[in-house]
Amino acid sequence: MFQVALLCVALATAGSQGCHAAPFDEATERYRGYMIADMDRALAGSRQLRDYLNANDIAAAKEAWIKARIGWERSEVFTSAFIPELDDAIDAWPDAAAGFHGIEAKLFSANPGGFGDVLDMLVAHLTEADAQVRAMPLTPQGLLDGVTRLSFEVGDSKVDGGESRLSGTSLDDMRNNADGIELAYSILFAASLEGADPQLAVQIRDGIDKLKTILKVQDLRQVDPEDLQKTSEALVVAWQAAGPKLGLATPTLEGPVK
Amino acid sequence: MTARRRGRASRMACAAVLVLLPVLAVRHAASFPLYGDQTVLPAGTELNQDALTVPREQFRTEAAEGIPSYMVKLGDLAFNSPALLGGIARQAGMSCNTCHVAGASNPKFFIPGLSRHPGTFDTTGPLFNAKADNGVFDPVRIPSLRGARYLAPYGNDGRTASLRDFVRNVIVGEFAGPEPSPAILDALVAYIQDIDFLDNRRLGPGGRLVTTDEAQLRGQALFNKPFPNDPSLSCAICHVPFGAFLDHRQHDVGSGGLFKTPTLMNANFNAPYFHDGRFDSYEQVVGYFDRVFHLELSPQDTRDLVAYLNAIGDGWRPNVANRIGVQLQEISGFASVLATAIPAHDAETVALTVDTIDNELRELIEQFPDHRDPTIPGGQAERQRARSVLKGMLLNLSRIELAAAAGDFDRAAAEFQNYRYVASANVGAALRAAEPWSLFNPKIHDAHYDAIRQMQALQTAAKPDH
Repeated sequence: MFQVALLCVALATAGSQGCHAAPFDEATERYRGYMIADMDRALAGSRQLRDYLNANDIAAAKEAWIKARIGWERSEVFTSAFIPELDDAIDAWPDAAAGFHGIEAKLFSANPGGFGDVLDMLVAHLTEADAQVRAMPLTPQGLLDGVTRLSFEVGDSKVDGGESRLSGTSLDDMRNNADGIELAYSILFAASLEGADPQLAVQIRDGIDKLKTILKVQDLRQVDPEDLQKTSEALVVAWQAAGPKLGLATPTLEGPVK
Repeated sequence: MTARRRGRASRMACAAVLVLLPVLAVRHAASFPLYGDQTVLPAGTELNQDALTVPREQFRTEAAEGIPSYMVKLGDLAFNSPALLGGIARQAGMSCNTCHVAGASNPKFFIPGLSRHPGTFDTTGPLFNAKADNGVFDPVRIPSLRGARYLAPYGNDGRTASLRDFVRNVIVGEFAGPEPSPAILDALVAYIQDIDFLDNRRLGPGGRLVTTDEAQLRGQALFNKPFPNDPSLSCAICHVPFGAFLDHRQHDVGSGGLFKTPTLMNANFNAPYFHDGRFDSYEQVVGYFDRVFHLELSPQDTRDLVAYLNAIGDGWRPNVANRIGVQLQEISGFASVLATAIPAHDAETVALTVDTIDNELRELIEQFPDHRDPTIPGGQAERQRARSVLKGMLLNLSRIELAAAAGDFDRAAAEFQNYRYVASANVGAALRAAEPWSLFNPKIHDAHYDAIRQMQALQTAAKPDH
C-alpha cells in the first residue's frame, strides 16, 4: 500500500489524475464497511427508540435516541457530503417537528409525547440512508470534501449549548464527529499522505489528536472555544493542502461533492 | 452599590443618573435566548444578538471627513474581541461590544441572576470574576459610550478620572481578563474617544433648542427654572446645557448614594434610566424628581419637560438596519489592521485581528443557514455560495495567522493579498445574492428564531437524566 501510494503521488504530481483510483478503491471499500456499521447502529437505535416509546418507556427511549445519534454523528463525513437531502430530513435544525431534533425536543421535554408519525419517518429515512451507504459510489474526492467539512463544522462555537442542547449531548456529537474524522483519515488517507508528505501527515494526525484532547472534558462548558476553533481551522487548512498531495483536488467546504 | 452607599437625599440637583458603567460586553455567542443546561451563560440569557437593527456609530474622525487612525481601528478591533476578556466572558465569546453595541448601550441585555431589568448588569457579581464579587445584587444600567470623551469622570459613581484606568479595570478586574498591553489600552481609549454623540439638529449653540414647538420651549424654561423649595437648584444646574448636559460631578438625588450626573445627549436611546435602570421612561424620571424635590409640577409641566427631554435627547439616525453591507464594512475595517501589523512583523496583533474577524465571519456564516434549516424555503445554491466564500476568507485568515506565528511574514503578506482580492471581488455579490434567503431577511429571520423558540418552549423544565 505504502509503495503504491508513493508511486501514485509521484505520478499525480507529474500530472496523472487516474493513478489514485486503485489504492483509494480498496480504502474506500474498507471505509464503507465502517460506514455501514455506524449507519446500522443509527438505524437500530432509531428502531429501539420507536419501540421504547410505543411501550412508553421514556428513560430507555432517551438512551436509544443517544445511541442512534452516535452512529449518525460518526457518519457525518458521508451524510453531509453524499446524501444532503436525507441529511435535511434526519438532522434538520432548528426543527421541533421532525428528525432527530424534532424527537429530541419532545422526548427531553417536561412532558414527553405527541410524536405522531415522526418516529416512523425517522426510521424510514435512516433505512434509506443505510441503503444508500451500501450502494452509493463513494469517491475519494467526495470523502475528502466530507471530512474537511466536518473538520470545519466541529470548530463552530457551542456556547449556546449546541444543536443537541435539550438532550445535553452536543459534546457527544462533537466527540463522535472527531471519531468520524479520525476514522476517515486512518482508513482512507493516512497511508497515502504519509508517503507523499510525511510532515503534512503528522500535521493532520496531530490536529485530530488535539481536537480529541480538547473534547476530553466533562462538560460542554469546559471546551475552550478559541482553541477548538483554531485547531479546527488549522486542520481544514491541512486538509486543503493534502488534496493535491493525494492526487485529488483541493477539498471544498460547500456544495455538491464530486 | 446601592446597598453599600445608601445615603440621605442630597439637596443637589436633578441628576437622572445615566452613568458610564463598568461593563464591557458579550458578542457573537450564538442562538439566543439560551436554553438547555449546557450553556456557558445562564439559561434565559438574552443578548439581543439577533437584532435586525444596530445602533449607528458616528465617529469624530469621519465627521471631520478624516480617516480613522490605525489606533482607532485597532481599538475597534479590540473592542470586538473576546480574547481581551477572561474566564467565563471569554468562554462565552464576550467582548466589549456585546453590552455596548456599536458603542451604544444594549437595552435588551439580560442575564438571569446578574440583571434586574433588561439593559442592566451586576458588574460586581460572582459569574465573571469571583474576586470582584461584592456579595450584593446591585445591577447597574449599561451606558452608551457615545460622546465618552466629554463624560469624565467614569463609572456610574464617577470614581475614576481616567478612561484608560477605567477600561483596564473593566478588563482585568471585572472580567478577569489578562493584563492588556499598553498599546491595546491606548487603542481602546482612542476608539472610545472617537465615538461621537449623534447629531441632534434640534440643538443649537449653547445647548439651546432650535424649535418653535411650544411644549418643548415651555419645557426648556422649566428645565432652567429654579426649584420652588430651593432657588439655588434647577435641572440645568447639573445638566448644564452648554456643557453636554452634565456637570462632571456626583450627587445624591435619593436614589441610593452618590452618582455621577449623566449626559442627556442622545438619552432617548439610552433607557432604562437612573444608575440602576429603575425607570423606563422620561415620565417616570420627571415624576421621581417632582416627588423628591417637591417641584409641584402640573400634568402639563410634566408633559412639557418630557417634550423638552425628548428634543434634547434626540439624535439623527440612531439605528441602521443590520444588513450585509454593515457587516462587511466592519470586517473590512478590522482587516485593515493587518495592512500595518504584517509589515511590522507584529504577530500578536495579527493573531488578535484574525481571532476577531474569525468570530465575525463565523457569525456571518450563520446568517446563511445550511441546507438542514427547514425554515428557509429556497435559495440553497445561493446560501451555499455565500457560505463557501465566507469560509474561504476565514481559511485565508487562518493561513495568515499560521504564517505570522511561524515568523514567515512574506507568506502572511501574500495570503493577505489573496484575502483582499477575494474580499473585494467575490464576497459582496455572493452575499447579496443570498440575502433574500438569509437571516438578514426579516421573514426568514423570524421563522428561524420562532423555530428555535418553539424547541425551547417544549423543553420547559426538561433535565437530561443520562
